[in-house]
Amino acid sequence: MTSHLSASRPLLLRWGPLLALVIALGFPLGAPNAYWVDVGIGILTFGMLGLGLNLVVGYAGLLDLGYAAFYAIGAYTTAILSTAAHLSFWETLPFAIAFSAIAGVIVGYPTLRLRSDYLAIVTLGFGEIVRITATNLGFTGGPNGIYGIPPASIFGYQFVTENSQYYLALAFLLVVLFFTRHLARSRLGRAWLSLREDESASEAVGVPSVRVKLWAYVFGAIFGGFAGAFFAARLSAISPDSFTYTQSVNILIVVVLGGMASFPGVLLGAGVVVGLPEILRFISNWRLFVFALGLIALMLLRPQGLWPAASRAHDPFRNLGPPGDDEDGLARTRAPADPNAPALEVEGLRRRFGGVLAVDDVSFRVDRGQIVSIIGPNGAGKTTVFNCITGVTRPDAGKVELGGRSVRGMQPHDIVGAGLARTFQGIRLFKALPAFENVLVGMYTRQRAGILGSLLHTRSERREERESLRRTRAWLSFVGLEEIAGVKASELAYGDQRRLEIARALASEPDVLLLDEPAAGMNPSEKRDLMGLVRRIRGLGVTVVLIDHDMNLVMGVSDRVVVIDRGRKIAEGTPEEIQHNQQVVDAYLGSDGGDVDDEAVNTWPS
Amino acid sequence: MQYLINGLTIGSFYALVALGYTMIYGIIRLINFAHGDLFMVGAFMGWTVLGVFSATHAPVAVVLMISLLVAMAVVGLLAVGMDRIAYQPLLRASRLSILITALGVSLALENGALILFGAGFDTYPTNLLPTTTFLLGGATVSWVQVGMFTLSLLLMLLLYLFVQHTAVGTAMRALSFDQDAARLMGVNVEGVIMITFLLGGVLAAASGVMMGLYYTQINFLMGFLMGLRAFTAAVLGGIGNIPGAMVGGLLIGVLQSFAAGYISSQWQDVIVFAVLILVLVVKPTGIFGERVVERM
Amino acid sequence: MALLEISDLHTFYGSIEALRGISLEVEEGEIVALLGSNGAGKTTTLRTISGLERARSGSVKLAGEEITRRRAHDIVSLGLSHVPEGRRIFANLTIEENLGLGAYLYRRHPALIKERRQTVYEIFPRLLERKDQLAGTLSGGEQQMLAIGRAMMVQPKVLALDEPSMGLAPILVRQIFRIIEEIRQRGTAILLVEQNALQALRLADRGYVIETGRIVLHDDAKALAQDPRVRAAYLGGEPEVDTAQGTDTTN
Repeated sequence: MTSHLSASRPLLLRWGPLLALVIALGFPLGAPNAYWVDVGIGILTFGMLGLGLNLVVGYAGLLDLGYAAFYAIGAYTTAILSTAAHLSFWETLPFAIAFSAIAGVIVGYPTLRLRSDYLAIVTLGFGEIVRITATNLGFTGGPNGIYGIPPASIFGYQFVTENSQYYLALAFLLVVLFFTRHLARSRLGRAWLSLREDESASEAVGVPSVRVKLWAYVFGAIFGGFAGAFFAARLSAISPDSFTYTQSVNILIVVVLGGMASFPGVLLGAGVVVGLPEILRFISNWRLFVFALGLIALMLLRPQGLWPAASRAHDPFRNLGPPGDDEDGLARTRAPADPNAPALEVEGLRRRFGGVLAVDDVSFRVDRGQIVSIIGPNGAGKTTVFNCITGVTRPDAGKVELGGRSVRGMQPHDIVGAGLARTFQGIRLFKALPAFENVLVGMYTRQRAGILGSLLHTRSERREERESLRRTRAWLSFVGLEEIAGVKASELAYGDQRRLEIARALASEPDVLLLDEPAAGMNPSEKRDLMGLVRRIRGLGVTVVLIDHDMNLVMGVSDRVVVIDRGRKIAEGTPEEIQHNQQVVDAYLGSDGGDVDDEAVNTWPS
Repeated sequence: MQYLINGLTIGSFYALVALGYTMIYGIIRLINFAHGDLFMVGAFMGWTVLGVFSATHAPVAVVLMISLLVAMAVVGLLAVGMDRIAYQPLLRASRLSILITALGVSLALENGALILFGAGFDTYPTNLLPTTTFLLGGATVSWVQVGMFTLSLLLMLLLYLFVQHTAVGTAMRALSFDQDAARLMGVNVEGVIMITFLLGGVLAAASGVMMGLYYTQINFLMGFLMGLRAFTAAVLGGIGNIPGAMVGGLLIGVLQSFAAGYISSQWQDVIVFAVLILVLVVKPTGIFGERVVERM
Repeated sequence: MALLEISDLHTFYGSIEALRGISLEVEEGEIVALLGSNGAGKTTTLRTISGLERARSGSVKLAGEEITRRRAHDIVSLGLSHVPEGRRIFANLTIEENLGLGAYLYRRHPALIKERRQTVYEIFPRLLERKDQLAGTLSGGEQQMLAIGRAMMVQPKVLALDEPSMGLAPILVRQIFRIIEEIRQRGTAILLVEQNALQALRLADRGYVIETGRIVLHDDAKALAQDPRVRAAYLGGEPEVDTAQGTDTTN
C-alpha cells in the first residue's frame, strides 16, 4: 500500500495485490522506528475510512463532507462502553457498528432526496453537529474527550505495542476490503454506479433510488464506525479534535485523489494523504502549504485520480462458455396477471401544470401483442402522457392499468417491477459503464440477491449473477451488440446507444415497452432496422407503445395510432384512417404540397 | 431587538461572502471551498494597509477607503489567479476533482497566511471608527453598524443590477445554463468566468475588512468558519440564486445572534445547521431555489 | 474564392480521429447540405468550423480569412453563426434576453440590437407574442425558431444549422425548411446538416456525403438525390409518407 507504482500495469495487476500485502506485512520490520509504524497505522486507518467513503462517493456519487461523524460515533461508542460499562473491545464493536448504522439512517433518510450539492452541506452540518455535541456534553468528556480506553485483546494478549496494533489494523483493513469489494461487485454496487451516472434513468429502469442510496449511507457509516472503534482502542484516548471537518475533508481527498471507485486508488490515496505530510515534516511551518500545492498539482496533472478505476474486463462473458441458444430463453415466461385484460389501459388521464392543462381526459387501450403509436405536435402532451404512465409524473385524475392492475401513483421503479419499461427521448445511458453493465442494471427488478448475499458473495448470489450475465449476453445479441459488450456506453456510436437503451429496457422483462422517439436522429436505413427490431420485440410477446415524429416508422409498424393535440386525444385508428383524418392533417401532418399558407413565416424585409 | 441589529450587521458580512459562493456555483457548479479564505486574505490586506497608513496623518476616512479598495483589488486579482491556475484547466474534468483542487487552494491560502502572519491573532486599530451610538426601540445601535450595513447593501444592489441588467450579467446567467451555446453567441466564456471570480473576490474582501474593523481580531483560520456559515447561507437561500444568498446571509446572521443570545454561543452553529437541514428537508432547493426543469 | 472554404480538416476526440480530412466549400448565397449517418462526423465538422472543437490539422477559411485556430467567440464576430443540435436555447432567460445574447457582440450598441430584434420578430411573430416568457416554456418548434432567430441577430455571412428538424412534427419541419430558404434569400449562405436527407436535398443547391470522417461524395443536390448509393444509404429508397403505409416487409 505504501509501494511505489512504477512497474508496468498488467504485471502490477496480476501480482500487485500480493506484492502490496507482502510489503504491508513487512513494513514494521523495515521501518526505522516506532514512529513510522505509527504512521503506517494511520495509513491503514485512513484506508478503512477511504474504502467506506468510497462506497458513498465513488460508487453512489453522493458527496459527503461529514464522514468523520461516523468515525466519531464508532470511536465514542467503544470509548464510552469500555470505560463506563467495562465491556471488552470486541463486545463494544457490534454497538459501534450498530450506532453508526443508525446514524447513517438518521442522516440519510430525510436528506437523500436532495441534490448532491445540497447533500454536501447537510452532511457537513451533520459532521459539525456531532463534533460540537461531543465537545459540549458531559458523558462524552467535553473538549478533553475520554481517557483510559482499554486496548483490544485476544486470549489475554493485549494489542499495545506499535507492531501488534499495526497488524491488528492490517487485519481490520483486510476485513473492510473483503466486504466492500463484494458489495461493489454485487447487484447493489451496480445500482450505486447507475445512480451516480443518472439518477432518474436509474429509477426508470427499476432501481429503487432512495432505498439504494440509503444502503450506501448505511454501509459507509458502518465501515466508518468500524474504523472509529479501532481508533479508540488503539489510542486509548479520544477527543473531539480527531473528528473535525478537516478530517472529513482528508478522507474525501483520499478517495478522489486516489481515484473514485478504484480500490487500489483509495489505498494509494490513503498512503499519500497520511504519508506525504509526514515526509514533509522537515520543512515544519511550510509543510501543509507545500502539501496543499502538491495536492493542487496532482489534481491538475491527474484529474481522474492517481489510479483511476480500471474499465471492466474486455470480454465480460469469457467464463460463460459458448452462447448456444441463449436467445430462445428471451421469450417471456411470466404469465400475465389477467390474460384477458388489455396490456395497458389509460382512461380519463388528466394532468395540470400551473395553469396549463397538459393532458386533458386522454383515454386509450393497448391490446396484448399490439404496436401502438402516439403522435401529435410538439408540446401536445405526449411525453407527459408517458410520464404519467411510468410514474415520473403523478396524474391529477384518471386510470392507468397494466394488465388489469392499477399502477397509478406507484413509484417508477415499482412500475418497472410490475412489467412496464421505457426508453428516453434523449438517450440516457449510464455513460461511464460498459454496455453489458447497462443491461445488468436493467435486470435489477428481476434479481433476488439480498444484502447479506451481496455482502458475503454467497453461492446463490454467484449463481444468480452468472445467470444474469448469460441473459445479458442474450439481450445484447438480440439487439446486435454482443461484440461490443465491454465498450463504455459513451463510446458507442449513436445508433448503438439507441439499441443499447432498448436492450436495457428489455432486460427488465417487461409486458409493455414504451419507446420515446426511438427514431430521432436516425437516417432512413437505420430507421428501417429499427422497424425490424420493434417487430422482433413484439415477436417476443412484448406489447410496444411508441412516440415518434417519423411517419414512415409510425405508419409502417403500428397496428393503431393515437393522435394527441393540446392535451386531448383528437383521433385514434389504423394508420390508414389516421392519414386521411382531416383534423390530424391540419394539426400535425400538414398537406404535402408545400403551399400551405403559414402564419409564422413572413418574408424577410429586404 | 439588540440581537436583531447585531445579527443583521454580521449577516450582511455573511451575505457578501455567500454571494461569491452562489455566483461561482451558479456559473461553473463548483463549491469553491477557498472562498472563505479569500475573505480572510481580505481582512489581512486591510489590516496591512491600515498599518502602513496609521503612521501618516491622512484623514481617517481616506485611510479606511484606501485600505478597503486595496484589499478588494488584491483579493479580486487573487481570485482571478486562483481561477486561471487551479480551476480553468479542470473545467471539463469531473466535478469532484475540481472540488478537491478547491480544498487544496483553501489549505494553501490558510497555510500561506500562517507563514506570513503567524498563528496568533492580529488586531485592527480600534481608534479609527467613531463610537457614537443611538437608541432604536430599546436597542443600542452604533453608527458603525449602520454604515457597514449600508455599504454591504449598496454593494449587493450594485451586483444585482450588474447581473440583471448588463450584457455581461446576462451572459453569466446564460453560460451557467449552457457554456457551448454561450460561446456560439460570441461570449468569451473564460473571460466571463474570470469576471465572476473577480466580483466574488472583491465582495469577500469588503466583507473581510469590515469584519476586521467590527470585531478587531483577525486570524489565519477565520476564513473557515466564515466559509461554513456563508456557504450555509447560500444553500439556505437556494444556491445559484443571488437574492437568495443575500437573504440567506442576513437570516443566518440573525439566527446565530438569537441562538447565541438566548441559548448559548457554543450551540449557535448546531442551531444554524439544524435549521438549515430542516429547511432543506421541507424545501429541498432552498428558500429561493431554482426549480430544476427536467425533461424526460 | 468560396465564402467558406474547408480543406483537409482533421479533428480528434482523445485518441479517436473523428474527422479524417474533410474538405468542402460553401459559396455566397448557397445552401449546402451535409449528409451522413450518425457518428459519421457531421456534428463534429460543424463544431470544428465554429471553434467549439480544435482541429488537429487542416484549415477553415471564412471569406478568405483563416479561422482555424480562432476561438469560438471570435469566429462569431467574423460572420459565422452555428445553431447547434438540440437547439440549446437558454431556458432560464426570457426570449428577449436570448435574442439580446445573440447580439452579444453588439452589446455596446443597444439601438442596433433593438433594430435586429425587430427584424427577428417580424419573421417570427410568435416570438414577439411571448417575448417576456422564459424560453424554457416554449414548445419544440418555437424553440427552434428562437435558436435560429438568435443566430440571425448578428446577420452572419454563413449560418451552420445542425439538424434543425430533429424532433419536430411534420408540419413544423416544413415550416423550418421554408424559413431556411427565406434566410438564404436574405443573403446568408447556409451549411445544413440533416438526417432528413430527402427534404434537405430538395432545398439545397449542392450536397456532400460524409462517412466515417471523410467526404465520400459531393455533387449537385439533384444529382445526389438520384445517386443510387445515396438512395440506398440515406434515402432508404423510400417513397414519401403518404404511400409508405406498412409496405416494408424486408425484415
